[in-house]
Amino acid sequence: MIFLLAGNPNTGKSTFFNSMTQSHVHVGNYSGVTVEKRVHHIKNFEGANLVDLPGTYNVSPSGEDEGVVTYSILNEAYNGIINIIDSTHLKRNLHLTIQLLELGVPTLLVLNLKDALKNNGYVIDTDKLSKILNANAVSISAKDRNKDEQLLVADELKNIRTFKGIELEYPSAVKWGIQRIHDLLRYDILQVNKKWLALQILEGNQGIFQFLDLSKEEKIRNVVKEVEERIVNEKVALSLKGAIFNTRREFLTKVVDDCMIKVEDKEHSKYFNQKIDRVLTHPAWGIPIFFMIMLGVYQISFGNFLGVGAFLTSVLDYVWAEFVLNYSSIALDFIGISGFAHGLIVDGLLAGVGGILIFLPQIVVLFFLLAVMEGTGYMARVAIVMDRFLGRFGFNGKSIIPIISGFGCTVPAIMATRTIADKKERVLTILTIPFVSCSARLPIYVIFINLFFNKYRAFVMLGIYLLGIIVMLLSAKLFSLTYFKGSGSNFILEVPPYRIPQLRTIFYQAFEKAKRFIKKAGTFILIGSVILWLLSNIGPSGIDINPDDSFLSVIAGFIAPIFSPLGFGTWQATSSLISGFLAKEIVVSSLVVLYGGEAGIGIAFTSLTALTYVVFASLYVPCISTVATIKSETGSVKWTAFGVVYPFVVAYLVSLVINLKIVIFIYKNTSLKMGFYLEERIIMKYIVGNRIFSYNHNS
Amino acid sequence: MNITELKRDEIAKVISLRKLNKKYTNRLMDIGIYESAEITLLKVLAMGRLYLLEVDDIEICIRFNDALLIEVVK
Repeated sequence: MIFLLAGNPNTGKSTFFNSMTQSHVHVGNYSGVTVEKRVHHIKNFEGANLVDLPGTYNVSPSGEDEGVVTYSILNEAYNGIINIIDSTHLKRNLHLTIQLLELGVPTLLVLNLKDALKNNGYVIDTDKLSKILNANAVSISAKDRNKDEQLLVADELKNIRTFKGIELEYPSAVKWGIQRIHDLLRYDILQVNKKWLALQILEGNQGIFQFLDLSKEEKIRNVVKEVEERIVNEKVALSLKGAIFNTRREFLTKVVDDCMIKVEDKEHSKYFNQKIDRVLTHPAWGIPIFFMIMLGVYQISFGNFLGVGAFLTSVLDYVWAEFVLNYSSIALDFIGISGFAHGLIVDGLLAGVGGILIFLPQIVVLFFLLAVMEGTGYMARVAIVMDRFLGRFGFNGKSIIPIISGFGCTVPAIMATRTIADKKERVLTILTIPFVSCSARLPIYVIFINLFFNKYRAFVMLGIYLLGIIVMLLSAKLFSLTYFKGSGSNFILEVPPYRIPQLRTIFYQAFEKAKRFIKKAGTFILIGSVILWLLSNIGPSGIDINPDDSFLSVIAGFIAPIFSPLGFGTWQATSSLISGFLAKEIVVSSLVVLYGGEAGIGIAFTSLTALTYVVFASLYVPCISTVATIKSETGSVKWTAFGVVYPFVVAYLVSLVINLKIVIFIYKNTSLKMGFYLEERIIMKYIVGNRIFSYNHNS
Repeated sequence: MNITELKRDEIAKVISLRKLNKKYTNRLMDIGIYESAEITLLKVLAMGRLYLLEVDDIEICIRFNDALLIEVVK
């Protein structure tokens, strides 16, 4: 059996889903976080599955993610619907309930947040509600994960009844329209009640025309127009949607009056919320506080001071180098594997995968902290304080959430743009988000900073991140002044009350991210490293050759001259960038493999070419998963192609400017010219020499 | 009068959403701002750019340009 789970955003829908099923989904406190359809087994109910639909106020889609609800109702196979309702906002939640009940499929109403309602001094008479609405109803508090409640819900589902759909007394013009459209639908084979479909069409549900191929579409649209005119002319309401909405609202006001029982006089105060908001959304302090919090988050994830993530990474690095690499090398020698196969396993496979795997702790810590920020409800406040600033560059205030997720991974960031209702603002956000430095690019910075800019660690790191943000903002400004001119600025943001996030859910989210990262390291990066090592050790003249005569050198050497103006036109650097298209993590793995360890990288680059390389790598073409996501989210080949070409051009120009600027600077200061150059070479030799020594010494 | 003419913590009744585009009106209705709904202006944020309203116990933030077009009566 399959049940669909529908409800408004912020009703604890995902929490309910988690407690009722055997595995978790991502839980957020921000309108529309659940953007993907998920299916899980229902506990205590053998053979029953629950499908989590995105939060919606209405069956009619108004954002991209809400289209999923209409689509599922029309096309998916299901046995019933669970409608989760926020008891503390019953009236608004019931608008969706009515639309689901009109459908006439077995529906269970789950009234969530029972405790919160009780704290406000109210209870809901579920029996009465059940009777009036003609559907089963239970009151629960999902976050407690109470076993009895879970059993109760499962029992109700087992005994779910089929009801006749609820019928409200709509104005006569609407009723006439329903009948006309119902008649026009007679040749269409549909799985849903045709009267319901007619009413949805009258309400303006465009998803229906999008997802169904109706034979009399043109005639149906004319009926809608006619009914709309009648409603306005007869002064029933200001619009057709308004007329339908008003009928439901009148009915629901009565329902709420009948079923909501006051049990206690309580002055529920919002003092706490308002007091925090006074600080966090303060016109002057709001933005600095946000930056301070983000600084803290990055410090804990990547910094030296208080840096939990960086510390764990150094531990893992040590363990990997001292134990895994060392002992596998010894073990291979012991069983007599040497030469080519030994190199493939140790220098190709293990070095490549390890080069990335050691960054796992930093990434997990970052995701954990971002999940905490989201779970508390702070992200909605960030959208408020950043709206003005981002608005200047053509972004929507809501763009801040995807932008922040973009520091983690670009793919979920692009998916998170679904909460932006305006198409133009959404595409603009999608196209500029890849400039935000994702965590996969971090290893590139770390390795080059260690080798070349150790003295100015924080400064260079911050500079690279800022460069990405500046390029993103300027690109957005450029787009909004040209193609995306005049995009709609309608903005509605529901500001949820502050909540203490559930640690369980947050740990789970971080765990999921870690799992995905390890999976990527074990598949993509593993295969990438092996192929790269093979290509660099096999050449036209045979195997086990000098890498300079390898296939990779021939192929990449052909492209390399393109990068010569940027200062790194070698075949190794070129191949690392090409392989980085598969996943940005591979850039570092391949540099390590191709240059034979960090020391090799130290010899091959100067501080200037290291800088241009890092800048180029931070801005150039997004990885293949991102490109696929851009394609699926924009649905446009044109925008996808643009999303690949534009970053490449920008990265090239920025790196070129840096390269030329510094070269010119050196040239102008001729007295310094020789000195700077020589000094740099000497310093380089010194650093590299030491590194080679210590490297050899270690191994 | 419109929302921007309200003072902080003032309660008003929405009388018309006619000046707004259809899609946005639908969205407002969904979250509880409809003709005859009671709203409270909680705060003006982001230096006058955003208006924080309360409708049925829910806090909603809209932009100045849209608040200008929502007609209300005290």
